[in-house]
Amino acid sequence: MEVAAAPWWIWPIALFAVSFAIGIVAVLAGVGGGVLFVPIVGSLFPFHLDFVRGAGLMFALAGTLSAGPPLLRAGMASLRLVLPLALVGSIASFAGALVGFAVPTELLQTLLGVLIIGIALLIWRLRAADSANVEADALGELLRLEGEFHDPAAGVSIDWRTHRTLLGLAAFGAIGFVGGIFGLGAGFANVPALNLLMAAPLKVAVGSSGLLISVINSSAAWVYLHRGALLPLVVVPSILGVMLGSRIGARLLGATPAPVVRRLVIVVMLLAGGRALSRGLGIWV
Amino acid sequence: MGLNELYARWLDVATKAGFAISLCAFLVYAGGLLPAFVPLEELPRYWALPVHRFIEVTGAPQGWAWLGELAYGDGLNLAAIALLGLVTPACYARLVPALVAERDWPQAALAAGQLVVLLVAASGLAG
Repeated sequence: MEVAAAPWWIWPIALFAVSFAIGIVAVLAGVGGGVLFVPIVGSLFPFHLDFVRGAGLMFALAGTLSAGPPLLRAGMASLRLVLPLALVGSIASFAGALVGFAVPTELLQTLLGVLIIGIALLIWRLRAADSANVEADALGELLRLEGEFHDPAAGVSIDWRTHRTLLGLAAFGAIGFVGGIFGLGAGFANVPALNLLMAAPLKVAVGSSGLLISVINSSAAWVYLHRGALLPLVVVPSILGVMLGSRIGARLLGATPAPVVRRLVIVVMLLAGGRALSRGLGIWV
Repeated sequence: MGLNELYARWLDVATKAGFAISLCAFLVYAGGLLPAFVPLEELPRYWALPVHRFIEVTGAPQGWAWLGELAYGDGLNLAAIALLGLVTPACYARLVPALVAERDWPQAALAAGQLVVLLVAASGLAG
């Protein structure tokens, strides 16, 4: 069937199904889902990238809002860790969302692909941080960026604290700006910044990344709404699908071994990045 | 009750309400129970256009103008989407007094700052 000839109602049903599946994977990977949703829907569905980016941001917002309660209750997301990083990230994301409307679509697709593949390779090359022997810095102590969480998959309790708080704040400013430009919600880089830079345990990094996205995207989402870039037929089936899928993903995260989570993040990001890059360069539109 | 549990409780109620409202609004829209500002059958002709062209051609609302289109199915859905955008500000509004009660001044100041950023973004004044 020709894409153009398909009846309109096919698309919301397909969006719901795709969003449900991405919602499960996204929570396990700590990526919010915009990083998967934007390249997949942007390349396989007939909507303009402006609407896909707007829906991607709302998608990530809805999924992370929905996954937040189980992650917080399981100790896999830390509110104290999220508060300072989210404030810096949301101001930067808001500015990035304004800039994103001024950049040509093909350039956005190409840059998006390069960015996602680069981060996937970074996660692949670097080993997860050892969070057991970390000395908190003064700012981290003042903000009480610490916690305890029980990992049911490994059968251990981890007493954690973070360090390099100022560098972490700078990183989340940069991540928020880039995420706002691409409508990604910034989850694609949160996990490496929290785990590799600030030394939060991987699962706390994954869970807190989701909570961060829910705060950061709440400000950027309004930019898209006020610009008229949220098409209800695209946005609503997507958020309904992801809200159901991410609840399931949040429950699976506790029982999934950390190396599996890491490999999942890398594979999914390479696929999504490759697709965005090929589209931006006109190789496979 | 700890901060994480307090935030989780508010988030849980707000997101479940958001899901239910979005689902109802979409069924009203897709089921044709209310007329659409841009009719669903005509939408495929326009959804591949960049957003500025889409608005030019269809006259779709920008800024807060969607508030005047709540009698339309698509306007109603934009309201449901906007409600999801208000979930985090609502949770932060509950979090700030909880942090003040704990005398955790640095985190209370950060949460209050975040609330201001979220409200400025929602107002559309800076966008």
